[in-house]
Amino acid sequence: MSAGPAGPVDGAEGDDTEGDDGWEPLQYHLNVDGTRRVVSGARLEESLLTVLRERLGVTSVKDACEQGRCGACSVLLDDRLVTACTVLAADAVDARVLTVAGLGASGPAARIQAAFLAHGAVQCGFCTPGLVVAVTDLLGRRPAAGEQEIREALAGNICRCTGYGRILAAVRDVQAGRAPGGSGAPGGSGANRTNGVGGA
Amino acid sequence: MTTPGGPSTVLHRPGTVGEAVASLTAEVEAGRDVRLLAGGTDLVPALRAGGRGPAAIVALRRVLELRVRGASADALTVGAGVTYADLAGWSLAPGLAAASRVVGSVQIRNCGTVGGALGSANPRGDLLTFLAAAEAEILLASARGARTTDVDGFLRDGPEPGELVTAVRVARPSGPQTYLKIGGRQAAFPALVSCALLVDRVRERVCCAVSGVATGPWRVAAAERLAGDEVDWSTGTAPLALARRFGELAAGGLRAAPPLPEDPRHPADYRVHAAGVLAARAFARCLAGVRRGDPA
Repeated sequence: MSAGPAGPVDGAEGDDTEGDDGWEPLQYHLNVDGTRRVVSGARLEESLLTVLRERLGVTSVKDACEQGRCGACSVLLDDRLVTACTVLAADAVDARVLTVAGLGASGPAARIQAAFLAHGAVQCGFCTPGLVVAVTDLLGRRPAAGEQEIREALAGNICRCTGYGRILAAVRDVQAGRAPGGSGAPGGSGANRTNGVGGA
Repeated sequence: MTTPGGPSTVLHRPGTVGEAVASLTAEVEAGRDVRLLAGGTDLVPALRAGGRGPAAIVALRRVLELRVRGASADALTVGAGVTYADLAGWSLAPGLAAASRVVGSVQIRNCGTVGGALGSANPRGDLLTFLAAAEAEILLASARGARTTDVDGFLRDGPEPGELVTAVRVARPSGPQTYLKIGGRQAAFPALVSCALLVDRVRERVCCAVSGVATGPWRVAAAERLAGDEVDWSTGTAPLALARRFGELAAGGLRAAPPLPEDPRHPADYRVHAAGVLAARAFARCLAGVRRGDPA
């Protein structure tokens, strides 16, 4: 029922057990990376981040600030870049959720990932899934974005390792068609350090 | 209307304003704690942090009629579900666009809404600062019908139980407008101090509100009077020296305003000073031909 004010969530059902403070576990469906996933035992208050990680095991969506400030949990929700920690999961039942894994093994997201590797734009890797989603979103909307626009568009994704120079260089390479295509990257994790800030 | 049994939170997902009002009314009449969910950028983190949530949530994401914005001959109307991203490129509304462009990050601007900003009523809210300077009208709906209030009244009294903000209305711009803010990591943190300034060449006045010093957006009345008296309204220009006096008067007025709680990292003196600088800068850009990047 599309207009449905009834029921906690369309088609949702309570589980047999109640939580210890009287809450009623929910069951509903989410469309994650093109697959219909069953969420069960959830609390209605849970964010999309919590449900993705703790109910569905989608751990590429990282959990850091939980306030929409760090961007580590960035996903696409109906093709819009959002932080999963600020989305109520039960209100996303009719939306398409795309994580980095759903962006495809070929195409722009794969080229972005390859460029990140080639440039050493990945160090600890915690921010990387969110950044790849954000860069994919940016280059989909604004393929010719200039440096200032790239910096502004990625301002919601915090990286504490790279200083952003290598990330920026990777994005510029993808724009220039210099990034390796497909999966994998020349040099792998032994990234070409000379291609860092100001390089290439 | 509600989930049978159990004290757990109920989620309403209306598709129209009428359905949203009906859900809200039913919860209020049942004496339950009900919250409106707009973009989620404030409420969803709060639900995580706050332990026990409200008894009911009315989620407004699918109420498409709230996402409409429009222009008439003399006014711009912005639906409560319009996001900052929607507003950021709106050429008819340069001030609203300027304020929206500097909210949060792309992720936040894609979610956060006009109605959510009013519902959260953060005293430093970017959009509220602009709406206060713009003397916006707030349109509300409830089971009792529709009503309109001014932004000051809304921020003072809040919505009545069972009321939903449906839109805001501002006059069509009749002169330059700007919005300036300062704060740590501007991209993702609320403003420390911000300033919205609108030049109204038809009514020959300047409207300016500052946030981050007083308990909410604060109109700098003495500075506005100075501008009304001394701007050359035939050309809509003023000398740079007037910008400095404008900033001094703005800061002076803010010293007498009811203050936000003292913050040891950003003492009141600093915030008042910064507000004066922003007000002078906004004035200079809108009236003295100073461009962004020029020394001012």
